[in-house]
Amino acid sequence: MSVELDIGLRAQAAAIAAGEMDAGELLDATLERIEQRNPALNAVVETFPERSREMLAAAADGPLRGVPVVIKDEWPLPWRAQRFGAAELMAPTAPGESGPYRALRDAGAVVVGVGNMHELGAGSTGSVSFYGAAHNPWDTDRCPGGSSSGPAASVAGRLVAGAVGADGLGSVRFPAAYCGLTGLKPTFGRSAMEGHHMAAITTLIVSGPLCADAADCRLLGSVLFGEELRGGDAAGLRIGVVREPVSEDVTPEVGEACDAAIESLRAETGGEVREISLPDLDAATVAAILIINSESMSGATPERLNHLDPELSPIAKGSLKYRMLLPTAATVQATRVRTMMRRRLATLFDEVDVIAWPTVPAPAPPLEAPLVELPSGTLTADQANVRGAALANLTGIPSISMPVGLSGGGLPIALQLQGAWGRDELLLDAAEALERANGRRWVESLPPLAQGEPAST
Amino acid sequence: MEASARADDFIPAGLAALGIEADEVDLAVMAALHQLFWPAILELLALDTERLAPEPFPDLSKAPR
Repeated sequence: MSVELDIGLRAQAAAIAAGEMDAGELLDATLERIEQRNPALNAVVETFPERSREMLAAAADGPLRGVPVVIKDEWPLPWRAQRFGAAELMAPTAPGESGPYRALRDAGAVVVGVGNMHELGAGSTGSVSFYGAAHNPWDTDRCPGGSSSGPAASVAGRLVAGAVGADGLGSVRFPAAYCGLTGLKPTFGRSAMEGHHMAAITTLIVSGPLCADAADCRLLGSVLFGEELRGGDAAGLRIGVVREPVSEDVTPEVGEACDAAIESLRAETGGEVREISLPDLDAATVAAILIINSESMSGATPERLNHLDPELSPIAKGSLKYRMLLPTAATVQATRVRTMMRRRLATLFDEVDVIAWPTVPAPAPPLEAPLVELPSGTLTADQANVRGAALANLTGIPSISMPVGLSGGGLPIALQLQGAWGRDELLLDAAEALERANGRRWVESLPPLAQGEPAST
Repeated sequence: MEASARADDFIPAGLAALGIEADEVDLAVMAALHQLFWPAILELLALDTERLAPEPFPDLSKAPR
Protein backbone atom coordinates (compact mmCIF):
# COMPACT_ATOMS: atom_id res chain seq x y z
CA MET A 1 0.00 0.00 0.00
CA SER A 2 1.61 3.27 -1.06
CA VAL A 3 1.21 6.64 0.56
CA GLU A 4 0.70 9.58 -1.78
CA LEU A 5 1.33 12.99 -0.30
CA ASP A 6 1.04 15.03 -3.48
CA ILE A 7 -2.26 13.85 -4.94
CA GLY A 8 -4.63 16.36 -3.42
CA LEU A 9 -7.29 16.30 -0.76
CA ARG A 10 -10.11 14.43 -2.50
CA ALA A 11 -7.70 11.86 -3.94
CA GLN A 12 -6.27 11.17 -0.49
CA ALA A 13 -9.78 10.87 0.94
CA ALA A 14 -10.87 8.58 -1.88
CA ALA A 15 -7.77 6.38 -1.59
CA ILE A 16 -8.30 5.92 2.13
CA ALA A 17 -12.02 5.24 1.67
CA ALA A 18 -11.22 2.64 -1.00
CA GLY A 19 -8.68 0.93 1.23
CA GLU A 20 -5.88 1.82 -1.17
CA MET A 21 -4.02 4.01 1.29
CA ASP A 22 -3.43 3.48 4.99
CA ALA A 23 -4.41 6.56 7.00
CA GLY A 24 -1.87 5.80 9.72
CA GLU A 25 0.93 5.64 7.18
CA LEU A 26 -0.33 8.83 5.60
CA LEU A 27 -0.24 10.60 8.95
CA ASP A 28 3.30 9.39 9.62
CA ALA A 29 4.43 10.43 6.15
CA THR A 30 2.80 13.84 6.59
CA LEU A 31 4.56 14.42 9.90
CA GLU A 32 7.83 13.40 8.26
CA ARG A 33 7.17 15.76 5.34
CA ILE A 34 6.52 18.59 7.80
CA GLU A 35 9.78 17.81 9.56
CA GLN A 36 11.65 17.88 6.24
CA ARG A 37 10.14 20.93 4.58
CA ASN A 38 8.85 23.13 7.36
CA PRO A 39 12.24 24.52 8.43
CA ALA A 40 12.36 26.35 5.08
CA LEU A 41 8.75 27.53 5.32
CA ASN A 42 7.85 28.08 8.98
CA ALA A 43 4.33 27.29 7.83
CA VAL A 44 3.41 24.96 10.68
CA VAL A 45 4.07 26.38 14.13
CA GLU A 46 3.09 23.33 16.15
CA THR A 47 2.45 19.66 15.61
CA PHE A 48 1.04 17.26 18.21
CA PRO A 49 1.51 13.72 16.89
CA GLU A 50 -0.19 12.05 19.82
CA ARG A 51 -3.27 14.24 19.52
CA SER A 52 -3.33 13.63 15.77
CA ARG A 53 -3.09 9.88 16.29
CA GLU A 54 -5.94 10.08 18.79
CA MET A 55 -8.03 11.94 16.23
CA LEU A 56 -7.23 9.30 13.65
CA ALA A 57 -8.09 6.46 16.02
CA ALA A 58 -11.48 8.07 16.64
CA ALA A 59 -11.98 9.34 13.10
CA ALA A 60 -15.57 9.48 11.98
CA ASP A 61 -16.50 7.78 8.72
CA GLY A 62 -16.90 11.12 7.00
CA PRO A 63 -15.77 12.66 3.72
CA LEU A 64 -12.27 13.41 5.02
CA ARG A 65 -11.71 10.26 7.05
CA GLY A 66 -8.03 9.96 7.87
CA VAL A 67 -6.92 12.98 5.82
CA PRO A 68 -4.36 15.27 7.52
CA VAL A 69 -5.11 18.99 7.48
CA VAL A 70 -3.62 22.15 8.96
CA ILE A 71 -5.71 24.73 10.80
CA LYS A 72 -4.79 28.39 11.17
CA ASP A 73 -3.67 29.73 14.55
CA GLU A 74 -6.97 31.56 14.71
CA TRP A 75 -9.17 28.95 16.39
CA PRO A 76 -8.78 27.02 19.58
CA LEU A 77 -8.27 23.27 19.59
CA PRO A 78 -9.33 21.17 22.57
CA TRP A 79 -5.69 21.01 23.63
CA ARG A 80 -4.50 24.44 22.53
CA ALA A 81 -5.66 28.07 22.63
CA GLN A 82 -5.14 30.16 19.53
CA ARG A 83 -2.42 32.83 19.64
CA PHE A 84 -3.58 34.71 16.53
CA GLY A 85 0.07 34.95 15.52
CA ALA A 86 0.66 37.37 18.37
CA ALA A 87 2.16 37.66 21.82
CA GLU A 88 -1.09 39.15 23.07
CA LEU A 89 -4.71 39.44 21.97
CA MET A 90 -7.28 41.95 23.11
CA ALA A 91 -9.79 39.13 23.66
CA PRO A 92 -9.39 36.22 26.09
CA THR A 93 -8.67 32.79 24.58
CA ALA A 94 -8.69 29.24 25.92
CA PRO A 95 -8.44 25.72 24.54
CA GLY A 96 -11.74 24.43 23.23
CA GLU A 97 -13.72 22.93 20.38
CA SER A 98 -13.98 25.58 17.71
CA GLY A 99 -16.48 25.28 14.90
CA PRO A 100 -13.84 24.50 12.27
CA TYR A 101 -12.22 21.91 14.55
CA ARG A 102 -15.57 20.24 15.19
CA ALA A 103 -16.40 20.28 11.48
CA LEU A 104 -13.05 18.67 10.64
CA ARG A 105 -13.37 16.09 13.40
CA ASP A 106 -16.90 15.17 12.40
CA ALA A 107 -15.72 14.73 8.81
CA GLY A 108 -13.04 12.32 10.00
CA ALA A 109 -10.12 14.64 9.25
CA VAL A 110 -6.94 14.65 11.31
CA VAL A 111 -5.62 18.00 12.47
CA VAL A 112 -1.89 17.53 12.03
CA GLY A 113 -0.65 21.01 12.80
CA VAL A 114 -1.36 24.67 13.45
CA GLY A 115 -0.62 27.10 10.65
CA ASN A 116 1.37 30.28 11.13
CA MET A 117 -0.35 33.61 10.50
CA HIS A 118 0.33 37.32 10.21
CA GLU A 119 0.34 38.91 13.65
CA LEU A 120 -3.21 39.69 14.84
CA GLY A 121 -4.45 38.90 11.34
CA ALA A 122 -3.45 42.44 10.44
CA GLY A 123 -1.44 42.03 7.27
CA SER A 124 -1.63 40.65 3.76
CA THR A 125 1.95 39.38 3.60
CA GLY A 126 2.68 36.95 6.44
CA SER A 127 5.92 38.81 7.04
CA VAL A 128 5.24 39.56 10.72
CA SER A 129 4.32 36.90 13.26
CA PHE A 130 4.96 35.95 16.86
CA TYR A 131 6.44 32.75 15.40
CA GLY A 132 8.55 34.54 12.82
CA ALA A 133 7.60 35.05 9.19
CA ALA A 134 6.28 32.19 7.10
CA HIS A 135 7.96 31.73 3.70
CA ASN A 136 6.57 31.24 0.22
CA PRO A 137 7.33 27.80 -1.27
CA TRP A 138 7.69 29.41 -4.71
CA ASP A 139 10.55 31.53 -3.40
CA THR A 140 11.38 31.34 0.26
CA ASP A 141 12.65 34.92 0.26
CA ARG A 142 9.14 36.06 -0.70
CA CYS A 143 5.97 36.66 1.30
CA PRO A 144 3.54 33.75 1.40
CA GLY A 145 0.63 36.15 1.86
CA GLY A 146 -1.44 36.73 4.93
CA SER A 147 -2.92 36.57 7.20
CA SER A 148 -3.42 32.81 6.54
CA SER A 149 0.27 32.50 5.68
CA GLY A 150 0.96 29.11 7.26
CA PRO A 151 -2.11 27.31 5.92
CA ALA A 152 -1.26 28.48 2.40
CA ALA A 153 2.45 27.73 2.58
CA SER A 154 1.72 24.29 4.04
CA VAL A 155 -0.57 23.38 1.13
CA ALA A 156 1.62 24.95 -1.56
CA GLY A 157 4.66 23.17 -0.10
CA ARG A 158 2.62 19.95 -0.16
CA LEU A 159 2.98 19.41 3.57
CA VAL A 160 -0.77 18.76 3.56
CA ALA A 161 -3.43 18.76 0.87
CA GLY A 162 -5.84 21.11 2.59
CA ALA A 163 -5.86 23.79 5.24
CA VAL A 164 -8.38 25.98 7.00
CA GLY A 165 -7.76 29.70 6.88
CA ALA A 166 -9.78 32.75 7.81
CA ASP A 167 -10.68 35.80 5.78
CA GLY A 168 -11.59 39.10 7.43
CA LEU A 169 -10.09 41.41 4.82
CA GLY A 170 -8.68 39.08 2.17
CA SER A 171 -6.77 36.73 4.46
CA VAL A 172 -7.62 33.54 2.56
CA ARG A 173 -7.40 35.09 -0.90
CA PHE A 174 -4.05 36.90 -0.54
CA PRO A 175 -2.05 33.82 0.50
CA ALA A 176 -3.92 31.71 -2.05
CA ALA A 177 -2.79 34.21 -4.70
CA TYR A 178 0.81 34.44 -3.56
CA CYS A 179 1.16 30.67 -3.16
CA GLY A 180 -0.63 29.56 -6.34
CA LEU A 181 -3.60 27.96 -4.59
CA THR A 182 -7.35 28.13 -4.78
CA GLY A 183 -8.91 29.83 -1.78
CA LEU A 184 -12.57 30.44 -1.03
CA LYS A 185 -13.89 33.31 1.08
CA PRO A 186 -17.40 32.06 1.81
CA THR A 187 -20.56 34.11 2.07
CA PHE A 188 -20.60 35.63 5.54
CA GLY A 189 -22.13 33.22 8.03
CA ARG A 190 -22.09 30.08 5.86
CA SER A 191 -18.89 28.51 7.22
CA ALA A 192 -18.05 27.41 10.75
CA MET A 193 -16.91 30.25 13.01
CA GLU A 194 -17.82 29.19 16.54
CA GLY A 195 -14.98 29.43 19.01
CA HIS A 196 -13.24 32.25 17.19
CA HIS A 197 -12.37 34.93 19.74
CA MET A 198 -14.31 37.46 17.65
CA ALA A 199 -17.15 35.15 16.57
CA ALA A 200 -19.78 37.09 18.50
CA ILE A 201 -18.54 40.46 17.29
CA THR A 202 -17.25 40.18 13.75
CA THR A 203 -19.31 41.08 10.74
CA LEU A 204 -16.46 40.40 8.34
CA ILE A 205 -14.46 37.29 9.25
CA VAL A 206 -15.23 33.83 7.84
CA SER A 207 -13.40 30.52 7.82
CA GLY A 208 -12.42 29.25 4.41
CA PRO A 209 -10.56 26.44 2.64
CA LEU A 210 -7.16 26.67 0.96
CA CYS A 211 -6.38 23.82 -1.42
CA ALA A 212 -4.61 23.13 -4.70
CA ASP A 213 -7.75 23.32 -6.80
CA ALA A 214 -11.43 24.15 -6.76
CA ALA A 215 -12.70 20.58 -6.32
CA ASP A 216 -10.59 20.17 -3.19
CA CYS A 217 -11.91 23.53 -1.96
CA ARG A 218 -15.42 22.26 -2.64
CA LEU A 219 -14.73 19.19 -0.49
CA LEU A 220 -13.13 21.06 2.42
CA GLY A 221 -15.63 23.89 2.03
CA SER A 222 -18.52 21.43 2.30
CA VAL A 223 -17.07 20.27 5.60
CA LEU A 224 -16.73 23.83 6.91
CA PHE A 225 -20.21 24.77 5.66
CA GLY A 226 -21.79 21.64 7.10
CA GLU A 227 -23.58 21.06 3.82
CA GLU A 228 -22.61 19.70 0.43
CA LEU A 229 -21.51 22.39 -1.98
CA ARG A 230 -22.97 20.73 -5.04
CA GLY A 231 -21.21 20.97 -8.33
CA GLY A 232 -23.14 22.70 -11.07
CA ASP A 233 -22.36 24.26 -14.30
CA ALA A 234 -21.28 27.77 -15.01
CA ALA A 235 -22.74 27.73 -18.52
CA GLY A 236 -23.51 31.14 -19.92
CA LEU A 237 -21.53 32.85 -17.17
CA ARG A 238 -21.98 36.62 -17.21
CA ILE A 239 -18.67 38.09 -16.11
CA GLY A 240 -18.52 41.69 -14.94
CA VAL A 241 -15.30 43.66 -15.22
CA VAL A 242 -14.60 47.15 -13.95
CA ARG A 243 -12.30 49.86 -15.20
CA GLU A 244 -11.00 50.91 -11.81
CA PRO A 245 -7.55 50.88 -10.16
CA VAL A 246 -8.35 47.47 -8.71
CA SER A 247 -8.13 45.99 -12.19
CA GLU A 248 -5.96 48.57 -13.95
CA ASP A 249 -3.33 49.63 -11.41
CA VAL A 250 -1.65 46.24 -11.61
CA THR A 251 1.62 45.02 -13.06
CA PRO A 252 1.48 44.31 -16.81
CA GLU A 253 2.01 40.59 -16.22
CA VAL A 254 -0.87 40.43 -13.76
CA GLY A 255 -3.14 42.43 -16.06
CA GLU A 256 -2.39 40.27 -19.09
CA ALA A 257 -2.75 36.96 -17.25
CA CYS A 258 -6.05 37.99 -15.67
CA ASP A 259 -7.45 39.38 -18.92
CA ALA A 260 -6.52 36.13 -20.67
CA ALA A 261 -8.10 34.08 -17.90
CA ILE A 262 -11.33 36.08 -18.07
CA GLU A 263 -11.48 35.50 -21.82
CA SER A 264 -10.79 31.77 -21.33
CA LEU A 265 -13.52 31.57 -18.74
CA ARG A 266 -15.95 33.34 -21.05
CA ALA A 267 -15.12 30.98 -23.90
CA GLU A 268 -15.26 27.85 -21.74
CA THR A 269 -18.66 28.73 -20.30
CA GLY A 270 -20.09 30.18 -23.49
CA GLY A 271 -20.72 33.31 -21.47
CA GLU A 272 -20.12 36.97 -21.91
CA VAL A 273 -17.98 39.74 -20.47
CA ARG A 274 -19.71 42.98 -19.55
CA GLU A 275 -18.08 46.18 -18.41
CA ILE A 276 -19.82 47.36 -15.26
CA SER A 277 -19.62 50.44 -13.08
CA LEU A 278 -18.80 50.03 -9.41
CA PRO A 279 -17.84 53.42 -7.99
CA ASP A 280 -16.61 54.20 -4.47
CA LEU A 281 -14.44 51.09 -4.15
CA ASP A 282 -11.91 53.18 -2.21
CA ALA A 283 -14.60 54.18 0.25
CA ALA A 284 -15.63 50.54 0.59
CA THR A 285 -12.04 49.62 1.42
CA VAL A 286 -11.70 52.25 4.14
CA ALA A 287 -15.13 51.32 5.48
CA ALA A 288 -14.12 47.67 5.82
CA ILE A 289 -10.87 48.62 7.54
CA LEU A 290 -12.67 50.88 10.00
CA ILE A 291 -15.27 48.26 10.84
CA ILE A 292 -12.78 45.45 11.39
CA ASN A 293 -10.56 47.80 13.40
CA SER A 294 -13.41 48.74 15.70
CA GLU A 295 -14.59 45.14 16.07
CA SER A 296 -11.08 43.94 16.87
CA MET A 297 -10.71 46.52 19.64
CA SER A 298 -13.38 44.94 21.78
CA GLY A 299 -11.71 44.43 25.15
CA ALA A 300 -9.10 47.13 24.60
CA THR A 301 -8.78 49.78 27.27
CA PRO A 302 -6.20 52.53 27.79
CA GLU A 303 -4.94 50.54 30.76
CA ARG A 304 -4.38 47.44 28.62
CA LEU A 305 -2.73 49.45 25.89
CA ASN A 306 -0.33 50.87 28.47
CA HIS A 307 0.78 47.37 29.39
CA LEU A 308 1.05 45.58 26.06
CA ASP A 309 3.19 42.49 25.86
CA PRO A 310 6.71 43.63 24.92
CA GLU A 311 6.89 40.79 22.40
CA LEU A 312 4.16 42.36 20.26
CA SER A 313 5.72 43.90 17.16
CA PRO A 314 6.22 47.68 17.15
CA ILE A 315 3.74 47.88 14.27
CA ALA A 316 1.07 46.06 16.27
CA LYS A 317 1.63 48.22 19.34
CA GLY A 318 1.42 51.45 17.40
CA SER A 319 -1.52 50.21 15.39
CA LEU A 320 -3.55 49.18 18.43
CA LYS A 321 -3.00 52.59 20.01
CA TYR A 322 -3.87 54.40 16.79
CA ARG A 323 -7.09 52.44 16.41
CA MET A 324 -8.27 53.81 19.77
CA LEU A 325 -8.16 57.31 18.32
CA LEU A 326 -10.31 56.77 15.25
CA PRO A 327 -13.51 58.81 15.32
CA THR A 328 -16.77 57.01 15.89
CA ALA A 329 -18.39 59.14 13.18
CA ALA A 330 -16.12 57.49 10.63
CA THR A 331 -17.21 54.01 11.72
CA VAL A 332 -20.85 55.06 11.54
CA GLN A 333 -20.23 56.39 8.05
CA ALA A 334 -18.53 53.09 7.24
CA THR A 335 -21.73 51.22 8.04
CA ARG A 336 -23.63 53.54 5.71
CA VAL A 337 -21.12 52.84 2.96
CA ARG A 338 -21.64 49.15 3.64
CA THR A 339 -25.36 49.59 3.02
CA MET A 340 -24.68 51.60 -0.14
CA MET A 341 -22.31 48.98 -1.55
CA ARG A 342 -24.59 46.08 -0.66
CA ARG A 343 -27.44 47.72 -2.59
CA ARG A 344 -25.20 48.47 -5.55
CA LEU A 345 -24.01 44.87 -5.64
CA ALA A 346 -27.53 43.52 -5.37
CA THR A 347 -28.42 45.52 -8.47
CA LEU A 348 -25.23 44.51 -10.28
CA PHE A 349 -25.82 40.83 -9.62
CA ASP A 350 -29.02 41.11 -11.63
CA GLU A 351 -26.80 41.97 -14.60
CA VAL A 352 -23.80 39.70 -14.05
CA ASP A 353 -23.11 36.42 -12.26
CA VAL A 354 -19.58 37.20 -11.15
CA ILE A 355 -17.30 40.21 -10.89
CA ALA A 356 -13.70 39.50 -11.88
CA TRP A 357 -10.47 41.33 -11.10
CA PRO A 358 -6.93 40.38 -10.06
CA THR A 359 -6.74 39.06 -6.52
CA VAL A 360 -3.56 41.04 -5.90
CA PRO A 361 -2.00 43.62 -8.21
CA ALA A 362 1.50 42.13 -8.16
CA PRO A 363 3.09 38.79 -7.33
CA ALA A 364 4.53 38.07 -3.90
CA PRO A 365 6.99 40.77 -2.78
CA PRO A 366 10.20 40.10 -0.83
CA LEU A 367 9.77 39.36 2.87
CA GLU A 368 12.49 41.85 3.63
CA ALA A 369 10.61 44.74 1.99
CA PRO A 370 6.96 43.94 1.18
CA LEU A 371 6.52 46.67 -1.41
CA VAL A 372 5.02 46.44 -4.89
CA GLU A 373 5.77 48.50 -7.98
CA LEU A 374 2.55 49.47 -9.73
CA PRO A 375 1.78 51.90 -12.53
CA SER A 376 0.69 54.40 -9.86
CA GLY A 377 3.99 54.06 -7.99
CA THR A 378 5.47 52.10 -5.12
CA LEU A 379 2.99 50.96 -2.49
CA THR A 380 3.16 48.69 0.50
CA ALA A 381 1.70 45.31 -0.39
CA ASP A 382 -0.95 45.81 2.29
CA GLN A 383 -2.09 49.10 0.76
CA ALA A 384 -2.23 47.63 -2.71
CA ASN A 385 -3.80 44.30 -1.84
CA VAL A 386 -6.64 45.38 0.42
CA ARG A 387 -8.40 47.42 -2.24
CA GLY A 388 -9.22 44.26 -4.18
CA ALA A 389 -10.41 42.25 -1.21
CA ALA A 390 -12.34 44.46 1.16
CA LEU A 391 -15.57 44.69 -0.81
CA ALA A 392 -16.44 41.02 -0.26
CA ASN A 393 -15.88 41.24 3.49
CA LEU A 394 -17.71 44.55 3.81
CA THR A 395 -20.80 43.32 2.00
CA GLY A 396 -20.80 39.62 2.91
CA ILE A 397 -20.54 38.25 -0.63
CA PRO A 398 -18.41 35.17 -1.45
CA SER A 399 -15.20 35.37 -3.39
CA ILE A 400 -12.66 32.94 -4.76
CA SER A 401 -9.04 33.30 -5.79
CA MET A 402 -7.49 30.93 -8.31
CA PRO A 403 -4.10 30.72 -10.01
CA VAL A 404 -4.03 31.90 -13.61
CA GLY A 405 -0.35 32.15 -14.47
CA LEU A 406 3.22 32.59 -13.41
CA SER A 407 5.22 35.79 -13.60
CA GLY A 408 8.52 35.99 -15.42
CA GLY A 409 10.11 35.52 -12.02
CA GLY A 410 8.22 32.26 -11.54
CA LEU A 411 5.68 33.57 -9.01
CA PRO A 412 1.95 32.81 -9.09
CA ILE A 413 -0.60 35.27 -10.51
CA ALA A 414 -4.23 35.02 -9.43
CA LEU A 415 -7.70 36.03 -10.51
CA GLN A 416 -10.53 36.72 -8.11
CA LEU A 417 -14.21 36.12 -8.77
CA GLN A 418 -16.93 37.54 -6.56
CA GLY A 419 -20.52 36.36 -6.63
CA ALA A 420 -23.85 37.17 -5.06
CA TRP A 421 -24.71 36.12 -1.52
CA GLY A 422 -25.02 32.35 -1.24
CA ARG A 423 -23.55 31.66 -4.67
CA ASP A 424 -20.35 30.09 -3.33
CA GLU A 425 -21.11 27.00 -5.40
CA LEU A 426 -21.19 29.05 -8.60
CA LEU A 427 -17.73 30.45 -7.82
CA LEU A 428 -16.41 26.90 -7.43
CA ASP A 429 -18.13 25.90 -10.70
CA ALA A 430 -16.53 28.87 -12.46
CA ALA A 431 -13.10 28.06 -11.02
CA GLU A 432 -13.44 24.49 -12.27
CA ALA A 433 -14.47 25.77 -15.69
CA LEU A 434 -11.35 27.91 -15.80
CA GLU A 435 -9.23 24.91 -14.80
CA ARG A 436 -10.72 22.99 -17.73
CA ALA A 437 -10.06 25.90 -20.04
CA ASN A 438 -6.37 26.07 -19.20
CA GLY A 439 -5.86 22.33 -18.95
CA ARG A 440 -5.33 22.56 -15.16
CA ARG A 441 -1.92 23.98 -15.96
CA TRP A 442 -1.77 26.38 -13.03
CA VAL A 443 -3.41 24.31 -10.33
CA GLU A 444 -1.00 21.48 -11.10
CA SER A 445 2.12 23.66 -11.12
CA LEU A 446 4.40 22.81 -8.24
CA PRO A 447 6.69 25.30 -6.51
CA PRO A 448 10.40 24.48 -6.53
CA LEU A 449 10.30 23.50 -2.88
CA ALA A 450 7.70 20.82 -3.61
CA GLN A 451 9.61 19.36 -6.55
CA GLY A 452 12.61 17.09 -6.56
CA GLU A 453 11.22 14.44 -4.29
CA PRO A 454 9.38 11.34 -5.40
CA ALA A 455 5.63 11.85 -5.32
CA SER A 456 5.19 8.77 -3.21
CA THR A 457 7.05 7.74 -0.11
CA MET B 1 -3.02 70.89 6.00
CA GLU B 2 -1.20 67.66 5.27
CA ALA B 3 -2.05 64.51 7.15
CA SER B 4 1.47 64.25 8.52
CA ALA B 5 1.14 67.72 10.02
CA ARG B 6 -2.22 66.90 11.51
CA ALA B 7 -0.67 63.91 13.21
CA ASP B 8 1.44 66.31 15.28
CA ASP B 9 -1.71 67.55 16.97
CA PHE B 10 -4.17 64.72 16.58
CA ILE B 11 -2.11 61.86 17.95
CA PRO B 12 -0.63 63.47 21.09
CA ALA B 13 -3.97 65.09 21.91
CA GLY B 14 -5.86 61.83 21.45
CA LEU B 15 -3.39 59.84 23.49
CA ALA B 16 -3.41 62.43 26.27
CA ALA B 17 -7.21 62.54 26.36
CA LEU B 18 -7.39 58.76 26.75
CA GLY B 19 -4.39 58.45 29.06
CA ILE B 20 -2.51 56.19 26.67
CA GLU B 21 1.25 56.19 26.89
CA ALA B 22 3.39 56.02 23.75
CA ASP B 23 7.11 55.87 23.15
CA GLU B 24 8.94 57.20 20.12
CA VAL B 25 8.47 54.01 18.14
CA ASP B 26 4.73 53.97 18.88
CA LEU B 27 4.48 57.59 17.77
CA ALA B 28 6.39 56.92 14.55
CA VAL B 29 4.12 53.98 13.68
CA MET B 30 1.01 55.98 14.53
CA ALA B 31 2.18 58.92 12.42
CA ALA B 32 2.76 56.62 9.45
CA LEU B 33 -0.68 55.07 9.85
CA HIS B 34 -2.24 58.49 10.20
CA GLN B 35 -0.59 59.68 7.01
CA LEU B 36 -1.94 56.61 5.25
CA PHE B 37 -5.48 56.48 6.61
CA TRP B 38 -6.51 59.97 7.58
CA PRO B 39 -6.98 61.39 4.09
CA ALA B 40 -9.06 58.33 3.18
CA ILE B 41 -11.11 58.71 6.35
CA LEU B 42 -11.78 62.37 5.54
CA GLU B 43 -12.87 61.36 2.04
CA LEU B 44 -15.16 58.76 3.53
CA LEU B 45 -16.70 61.30 5.87
CA ALA B 46 -17.21 63.69 2.95
CA LEU B 47 -19.19 61.11 1.00
CA ASP B 48 -22.83 62.13 0.72
CA THR B 49 -24.86 59.38 2.35
CA GLU B 50 -27.60 61.62 3.75
CA ARG B 51 -30.30 60.32 1.45
CA LEU B 52 -29.35 56.69 1.95
CA ALA B 53 -32.10 54.75 3.66
CA PRO B 54 -30.57 52.72 6.48
CA GLU B 55 -30.45 48.93 6.44
CA PRO B 56 -31.40 48.08 10.00
CA PHE B 57 -29.78 44.91 11.38
CA PRO B 58 -28.44 43.76 8.01
CA ASP B 59 -28.18 40.03 7.43
CA LEU B 60 -24.79 39.90 5.76
CA SER B 61 -25.38 36.37 4.54
CA LYS B 62 -28.09 37.61 2.22
CA ALA B 63 -28.76 40.36 -0.28
CA PRO B 64 -30.15 43.54 1.28
CA ARG B 65 -33.87 43.57 1.84
